[in-house]
Amino acid sequence: MLDAYIGVLVLWPLVAGLACLVLQSPGVRSALVLATGAALAVGALGVASQAPFTANPGFLSSETALHVAEAAAFVFPAYFLLRGLMRKHLLVILFSCAQLALAAFGVTQLPAAPAAQSAVVCDGLSLALLLVVSFAGSFICIFALPYMKHHEEHLHLKVSRQPGFFLVLLAFLGFMNGLALSNDLRMFELFFEATTLCSFLLIGHDNTEEAKTSAFRALWINCLGGVFLHSGILLAQKQFNLVDISALVNPALWTGASMLPIALLALAGCVKAAQMPFQSWLLGAMVAPTPVSALLHSSTMVKAGVFICLRLSPVLQGTVTGKILLLVGAFTFFATSALALGQSNAKKILAYSTIANLGLIIACAGIGTPVAVSAGIVLLVIHAATKGLLFLCVGDMEQTIGSRDLEDLRGMVSKSPVTALAAVAGAMAMILPPLGMLVGKWAALEAAAQSPVAMVLMALGSALGVVCWVRFAGTLLSGKAIKPKASPTSALTSMPILAMLASAVGLGMAAPWLNALLLPEASAASALSGGWGLMPSLFVVAMLGWIIGMKVLGRQSAATLSTPYIGGLPSVEKGTYVGPLGRTWVLSEGNEYATELFGEAKLTKFLGALAGALLLALVGGAII
Amino acid sequence: MNLTTFYLAVAGLILAPLLGGLVAGVDRVVTARLQSRMGPPLLQPFYDVGKLWSKIIAPASHWQGLFVRWALVASLASDVLLAAGADVLMCFFVQAASASFVAVGAFCGSSPYSKLGAQRELFQLLAYEPVFLVAILCMAKVSGGFDAYSFMASQQPLLFKLPLLIPGLLFVVLVKLRKSPFDISASHHMHQEVVRGVYTDYAGRDFALLEIAHWADVVVVLWICSFMWATSALSMVITAGLFLFAALVIDNISARLTWRHMLKVVAPACLILATANLLWLYME
Repeated sequence: MLDAYIGVLVLWPLVAGLACLVLQSPGVRSALVLATGAALAVGALGVASQAPFTANPGFLSSETALHVAEAAAFVFPAYFLLRGLMRKHLLVILFSCAQLALAAFGVTQLPAAPAAQSAVVCDGLSLALLLVVSFAGSFICIFALPYMKHHEEHLHLKVSRQPGFFLVLLAFLGFMNGLALSNDLRMFELFFEATTLCSFLLIGHDNTEEAKTSAFRALWINCLGGVFLHSGILLAQKQFNLVDISALVNPALWTGASMLPIALLALAGCVKAAQMPFQSWLLGAMVAPTPVSALLHSSTMVKAGVFICLRLSPVLQGTVTGKILLLVGAFTFFATSALALGQSNAKKILAYSTIANLGLIIACAGIGTPVAVSAGIVLLVIHAATKGLLFLCVGDMEQTIGSRDLEDLRGMVSKSPVTALAAVAGAMAMILPPLGMLVGKWAALEAAAQSPVAMVLMALGSALGVVCWVRFAGTLLSGKAIKPKASPTSALTSMPILAMLASAVGLGMAAPWLNALLLPEASAASALSGGWGLMPSLFVVAMLGWIIGMKVLGRQSAATLSTPYIGGLPSVEKGTYVGPLGRTWVLSEGNEYATELFGEAKLTKFLGALAGALLLALVGGAII
Repeated sequence: MNLTTFYLAVAGLILAPLLGGLVAGVDRVVTARLQSRMGPPLLQPFYDVGKLWSKIIAPASHWQGLFVRWALVASLASDVLLAAGADVLMCFFVQAASASFVAVGAFCGSSPYSKLGAQRELFQLLAYEPVFLVAILCMAKVSGGFDAYSFMASQQPLLFKLPLLIPGLLFVVLVKLRKSPFDISASHHMHQEVVRGVYTDYAGRDFALLEIAHWADVVVVLWICSFMWATSALSMVITAGLFLFAALVIDNISARLTWRHMLKVVAPACLILATANLLWLYME
């Protein structure tokens, strides 16, 4: 039965995607996407009911499967090389050649490593990623159905390109599930590279020049990540003749041994998670249609990067490599939070904030203690729900008003109330106690007690994040004298948004219990102490606040509003007033983005150089 | 949670706002004396709130009442957490939530001054939050735990190990009490360039509740400052009193700074001092 569940999780999306491609009809496509959502939900719950477990399903463990993985190590880079040659993109050519060379070296020069004891190992971490992919992923794919229809209407396409789009989008879900479950490094690499391919294809989907440039930037950076991953795998194979992940993450194995393979694998994770100085590919990826940004570049694919770091955390605990990784993550958390503050493009704000939170999770992995790692996993799950929600909301609002600039989203609450309020709730869920993101941040801060510098960086990043999200929520709610003119939304749009809202808030509130579930039994007894233990009583307080607030809202929402205080006489014309010098002034509003402090142009290079130095130290520290 | 904790929590819930109101009264009397005036009676802030409560004024936004209540709940909750000896970092985050609600409520308003004030309020938040957080981390490092009781249980005053925190904590007190030179987001006196900034659009009952929330905030901030010399209850009160008095004196002798100056000069300076102190603790 377990093998069947795993088969559904990994293979069904691919099959459904191919069916989308062949059958073309929009009705069939909608049915297939909805069916995939249902199938993944069943599969994920089936797997969750058995976890933790190990399994050996044929399609992941047989000789043929391993040969496929071995071949894929050549096929993916070869395809990247081909695309690089067609576009004459030097960096893509360079790094895909390096990947090919590494693959050839592995096959010819190293003895074949024995297959992993069990092809699938499912623990709390894999289950967390699996559930995120299966649920958040399905919601976002459903959201994509009406979104892409509007999107193509807007672009005036003659022939719909949706079948191909949904093939990649759905197949991607299967690859992510495979990545979460596989215990053989070669299978892991197969899925890792497959997600790079999906990301490349989806970023370039719109075929505009900007989309192509961004797609190739994502490709070369992720090819570089692939080089790190492959060389890490080969080195580990050389050192221990092992490709079994669960055997490799045994700290006893690494005492006295060179940590270089671990550092390289962590570095590959940092590239995938777009940590500074590799953040540019994720920002470029924002040109893709919003469901892509929500699914690949926030909820799931970038989580593969932090997933591998968390997977390595037992080995990292207490080592120099771990300490540097903690600094790397904390620094990115701080730096990208600052960059987010200087942005008025809503999708860029979300992108920077995504990178920041991934940095926080990587910092947790660097600490490596069970308390920190479970905080990291809780952050992974809740961030996926919350940020997925925010992306869906911004995408919907963008389609409503035709702009993704925060200044144009001002007062959105009167134009599309449901989406805007969901976005406000999402923004608040990022920063407010007693919800999970804040508590995760709290737990990370206290777990980082070994490194004062990391703690200060986290404190700074935390304050920057609060300001960013309060401003975001405040701008959406901003009062304006516009009569509500709610636009109709498709059920396929509002349903995923509301489902994501429910999971963001629900998971946010369930965080203390998730945390307790993830901790090993020895420390589970004390799991609900300190801040986590306060949460249940804070929930009671929050509920009380909710009830009081809603009562007042009900009373006030009928009240007649006062005229705005503008320090002058309102004049007949709307939005103007008679002010100083007896002149008529036109009222205009705007946020202060303090670009002199947080501007992208000013900060990126400097912070990128610092982050690059940290990454060099990560590898260098492992060599010495 | 045992019964003592419960009683302490209830005491915190009731006493903290009252104490905050008294602090506001003392503030007004001392400020008046510094300016050679008689000043209002000590309980004037309570009368003011009572009068505000009796006024029914049309709100500037449908949402403000909601955010005012949430701010009040969060502020009171942070007092209760401290009183019950809970995690001080979490108490800090709850208090920051209250500040966020005030800013969001101001964004919801219709007056441009209110929104301008909200922007500045956020920059203030950005300036003092890291300093305050690092100060708490320093205290936790010295006292060996994050809960309020271990902060108060240390035999030696934390001040001796944390001298560099004083400027930072004073900065936090000035910002949170909305005192010059950092009364940037809600100018203390009306008819200035931001009118009342973040408070412009709050009126009547909402404003009365907001005032109580502010009292609760002030108590949290002064309480955390008083951990610097927490060998006995009396020494804590004196420490908090000294911080308050210093803030009042600075308020009376300085003019308002711009938010740029606060964010570019004052906050980094305070943060660097606090960080230096933290690093120094790790060197020992």
